[in-house]
Amino acid sequence: MRGAAAVWEFVSKYGLIALLIAFPAYFAITDLSNGEGLTRIGNNLVAGLSNGSIWALVALGYTLVYGIIELINFAHGEVFMIGSFVAFALYGTLGLTLATGPLGLAVGLFVALILSMLASGTLNVMIERVAYRPLRNAPKLAPLITAVGVSFILQNVGILWLGSSQKAIPDLIGAQRVLVDVAGVTISRADVLAVGVTVPLVFLLTAFVSRSRLGKAMRATAQDPEAARLMGINVDTTISLTFLLGGLLAGAAGLINALYQTNVWYFQGFTAGLIAFTAAVMGGIGNLRGAVLGGLIIGVIQQISDNRIGNQWTPAVVFAYLVLIMVFRPQGLIGEETREAG
Amino acid sequence: MLPAAVALTALVIFPVFRDPLDSFLGDSILALAFVVMALGLNIVVGFAGLLDLGYVAFYAFGALATGWWASDFFTGVNGERGIHIGASEFASSLPGVHLNFLLILVGAVIITAIAGAIIGLPTLRLRGDYIAIVTLAFGEIIGRIAQNGDELTLIGDYKFSNGRQSISPIDQINLPLIGEFDQATNLRPYFWMGLALVLVVLFVNFRLRDSRMGRAWIALREDEVAAASMGVPLVKTKLMAYAVGAGFGGISGAFLGAFLNSVNANQFQFGFSIFILAMVILGGLGSIWGVVIGAVLLSFVNTRFLTQLDQGIGNDVLNALGLDFTFNEVKFGVFGFILVLVMVLRPEGLLPERRRKLELTEGVGTGGESVYEARA
Amino acid sequence: MTPEPAPEKAQPAAAAANGSALLAAKDVSKIFGGLVAVDDVSFGIAPRSIVSIIGPNGAGKTTFFNMLTGLYKPSIGTITFERQDITGRRPDRITALGVARTFQNIRLFATMSAVENVMVGQHARMRAGMFGAILRTPAARKEERRVREHAREMLDYVGLKPAAFDQIAANLSYGDQRRVEIARALASDPRLLLLDEPTAGMNPNESARLTEFMVKLRDERDVAILLIEHDMRVVMGVSEHITVLDHGHKIAEGRPQEIREDERVIEAYLGKAAGD
Repeated sequence: MRGAAAVWEFVSKYGLIALLIAFPAYFAITDLSNGEGLTRIGNNLVAGLSNGSIWALVALGYTLVYGIIELINFAHGEVFMIGSFVAFALYGTLGLTLATGPLGLAVGLFVALILSMLASGTLNVMIERVAYRPLRNAPKLAPLITAVGVSFILQNVGILWLGSSQKAIPDLIGAQRVLVDVAGVTISRADVLAVGVTVPLVFLLTAFVSRSRLGKAMRATAQDPEAARLMGINVDTTISLTFLLGGLLAGAAGLINALYQTNVWYFQGFTAGLIAFTAAVMGGIGNLRGAVLGGLIIGVIQQISDNRIGNQWTPAVVFAYLVLIMVFRPQGLIGEETREAG
Repeated sequence: MLPAAVALTALVIFPVFRDPLDSFLGDSILALAFVVMALGLNIVVGFAGLLDLGYVAFYAFGALATGWWASDFFTGVNGERGIHIGASEFASSLPGVHLNFLLILVGAVIITAIAGAIIGLPTLRLRGDYIAIVTLAFGEIIGRIAQNGDELTLIGDYKFSNGRQSISPIDQINLPLIGEFDQATNLRPYFWMGLALVLVVLFVNFRLRDSRMGRAWIALREDEVAAASMGVPLVKTKLMAYAVGAGFGGISGAFLGAFLNSVNANQFQFGFSIFILAMVILGGLGSIWGVVIGAVLLSFVNTRFLTQLDQGIGNDVLNALGLDFTFNEVKFGVFGFILVLVMVLRPEGLLPERRRKLELTEGVGTGGESVYEARA
Repeated sequence: MTPEPAPEKAQPAAAAANGSALLAAKDVSKIFGGLVAVDDVSFGIAPRSIVSIIGPNGAGKTTFFNMLTGLYKPSIGTITFERQDITGRRPDRITALGVARTFQNIRLFATMSAVENVMVGQHARMRAGMFGAILRTPAARKEERRVREHAREMLDYVGLKPAAFDQIAANLSYGDQRRVEIARALASDPRLLLLDEPTAGMNPNESARLTEFMVKLRDERDVAILLIEHDMRVVMGVSEHITVLDHGHKIAEGRPQEIREDERVIEAYLGKAAGD
């Protein structure tokens, strides 16, 4: 019996990591044996990491909310989608066109970033207030069901807003323009933008959660809401704050995604949501650094799948990883097994 | 007993008073199919308390069963002469596999029950919300496989599905003693067939609910640890719920495949699972009659009510508000809205089941945290 | 998470830890992460005896219970019941073999009636399968009737008033819930009944009655009883044999009189009290 348990433990710990590495490794080796060199896989990695940093921002929202009220905020992907839509709408409002000069573009996009963050943040807080808070004492599956409902409502708002097909939007920054080229591996503007916005935001967030008073209140509430309440922490406000933070990051991700992909679509949130949720679980749900790591990993997997297997199969690939992780390592790649009370 | 007999008689003779090709009759047949499906999902979610967000997988398998075994999908089989077992005279002249509809039903139940158990297996050790996501993922994976099934070669040249192209036409239902249905001239037999399926599934639902298995489902829903300690085998009991629930989905899928005369993989979407879930939630989790009502209501909302709204008062209201859209465009938004509304205002549903009402409105029986050690 | 090997040391011969024991645990340990909750405990129960496990809070009593009933798998050691190895078996299998239990914080199926709760307790004693239930075969119907009848008998036996039989568990008084829980455990026809702090929340009067009931159970129904209990009056009054756990270790065992005078036991309890 003990032998089997040890094998299980080993497989669940390293099997998945091996499986994650196997995916890029396999294609790197095939490329090499075909005499193609490592350029293609290098480009896959670059695109995967920059795309993954968008997923990381969305994944943080899942992980924050799950960490504090143990709810899979199923509508979070749609909050991200609305962020993209707002960003696109702001192009028009702020008069950002392909003709806008670099300075105007920089200022305008910064304003657009702040506004789409605020829009998504506010939306997320409202969702919590309307759809989850009334159910806080209901069985745990009840708010999950409303979350699914909200997700559908927002998708249909998206349909009414910009129609049901993908909408190409102006490529304001020249997303694909190459900035760096190392032996054929290229880094584009979009890559730099994605990483350049994500990194400071992640640092700001972790600093906020670990240093600030409100951040400490969040962690206290996550540990034990009842105790936090007794210590004078306003649990409702803290939960709202958590949704706000998650929404802000999703809004930022929405803007970056719009600039990066140069199209927006009502359905982008569903896929993004599940990818980002996979990332959050991969990193150990509730774990901020883990969510970022998970986002980057899943970004690479998704990119390689898109590029090598065909993007019609990518959702199936990502979902397969999701199932594997949830079943074999629900505590995430870097998470420790939680101790049961004796 | 008497009101039930009257209602049943009314239902049985209702088609006779409609035109054989009446569109309302057609929509009623769809409603019956959805009742079967919702009753299946109710076993998994309502009885056993396992939130399944990937129920579409079983619709897919049921429908594919008709696609595989009642069309010319496997054209080359048996030297293009086809395989025919109990098929109608016309179908017997076609290439491909053509089985009698009853055989297809049996096959669909077997496939979906096995698929249900296989999908259930990895969820056994998981908490409720993770179960929801894993089932969702499986539903999506199976949907994707069906949608891209034309790229998947199984044995020989045979594909898994026609991909985004439908498998069509499908054989008309052909019953022993009764003969072949003909949907082009008369929808009534489909109605009676659907009604018969509903009655069978209802019967099974009631019987199971009031049995040892039904009690075990409720017990494990309320407290897995206590249930296991009282001798309820968790794995077997959960897998049974998944398998039975899936089997009903398969029955309905097979029937819909035949009735719609095509198997369209584009329908195998997450939204479909939520459509069925909304029926169960609206009617009342765990409440058999409630789920029947929920399924009929939402099915008609889907097929008729939204359209009527768009042609009538709904359009006026939207115009008055300065909104330029139709309710049909945002169908799934409407279903999502129903989910939220019911969950927040009346979580026990329209026709509540006694226990579920206690759980959902007073928090009874939901406190049991798990100390059951994870194991395969 | 490799468990340390059990230190080789001679165990004081437990009173019943030999071939005649109904249930015997041998060198059982449970490790959570790196924390040892139960450390190398051996233990035995003779048929038709009443024995207790006592110890301060967090001593590992409930963890030990959970291993005996299959909720936890021992990290090291073996557990045998009627000479069958049941180490790490599934809880429902162990129940089917004849071990039943109650819980420290009553775990009834809250929305089920008292009768239905006790019927679930007989799950392992029933045969009706899926098809029997759907077709309602004569055998299935007969079984269902028998099980319902037996449930009422059991409820009667534990002293629940018939008016309460069909009330849902959540609406029963605390004392009645305890009764139903014991009836539910008894319904599986156990040879060994594990009671986890059954007198918690009871007044001395009720405790005394429960104590009498335990003796009656043993005498009339041929069950052995293993008790976790804090109320020393109950423990000393009813137990033939007592095992004391502290921080996962077995620190003493013996007859009530011996335990009362054992210095390590006194120290464990007093030390705990002084530390609080």
